[in-house]
Amino acid sequence: MRILFFGRLGDRIGRETEVELPADVRNVADLRQLLARLKPEAGSEFLGKTLRACVDDAIVNDDHPVDERSEVAFFPPLSGG
Amino acid sequence: MRVQARLAPAAFSPERELADFVTGLDAEGAVVSFVGLVRPRSAAGDPLTRLFLDHHPRLTERSLAEIGAAAAERFAVGAVRIVHRCGAVLPGEPIVFAAAASRHRRAAFEAADYLMDRLKTDALFWKREEGAGGSRWIEPTGADQADRTRWEARCPE
Repeated sequence: MRILFFGRLGDRIGRETEVELPADVRNVADLRQLLARLKPEAGSEFLGKTLRACVDDAIVNDDHPVDERSEVAFFPPLSGG
Repeated sequence: MRVQARLAPAAFSPERELADFVTGLDAEGAVVSFVGLVRPRSAAGDPLTRLFLDHHPRLTERSLAEIGAAAAERFAVGAVRIVHRCGAVLPGEPIVFAAAASRHRRAAFEAADYLMDRLKTDALFWKREEGAGGSRWIEPTGADQADRTRWEARCPE
């Protein structure tokens, strides 16, 4: 699965990553747990409230399902234009 | 009703945008346009080397189009255009162009004002100020949020 990171988060852990999705990762909340383990330097951000999750171009809640075909992005707070 | 919104990955000419926008008009008698330039100093007062605007490959341009469409719906305007830079922008360079055209001037003034207040808070960007002393990601200011909120108290027209 391809995951994109933006802004401050992209600077910290890279702008893009490819992860092999374990079978027990079914929704955004599971994915946050997985990423907190894979990217411990941003662990508290993935588990906190400031990062918004975006799946297939829509901002979604943590119970939104994900699978290998999803394109997921994580958004730190926006700056505006 | 014509709403044009576009991300510009390289420098653009506000003069050309305005001339092109006016050329496409029909029954409108009023055009109001705004050009935003990158300031030479950061919010903290330090000299800025450049401003970097991180953007999403699809959603950022979509956010510009949604803001343009909201202005077109809210005000009696016949055409709206937004051009917004992404990537690295240098001090003094245009970063945003917003224009609105209407039959009579009031709607165009108000729509342009509205476009900029929405763009400053709701356009999907992450901005990083870069200077000799390092770089810093920024978030909308309290004043930007207050400007944005002005429009929520009013009834749509």
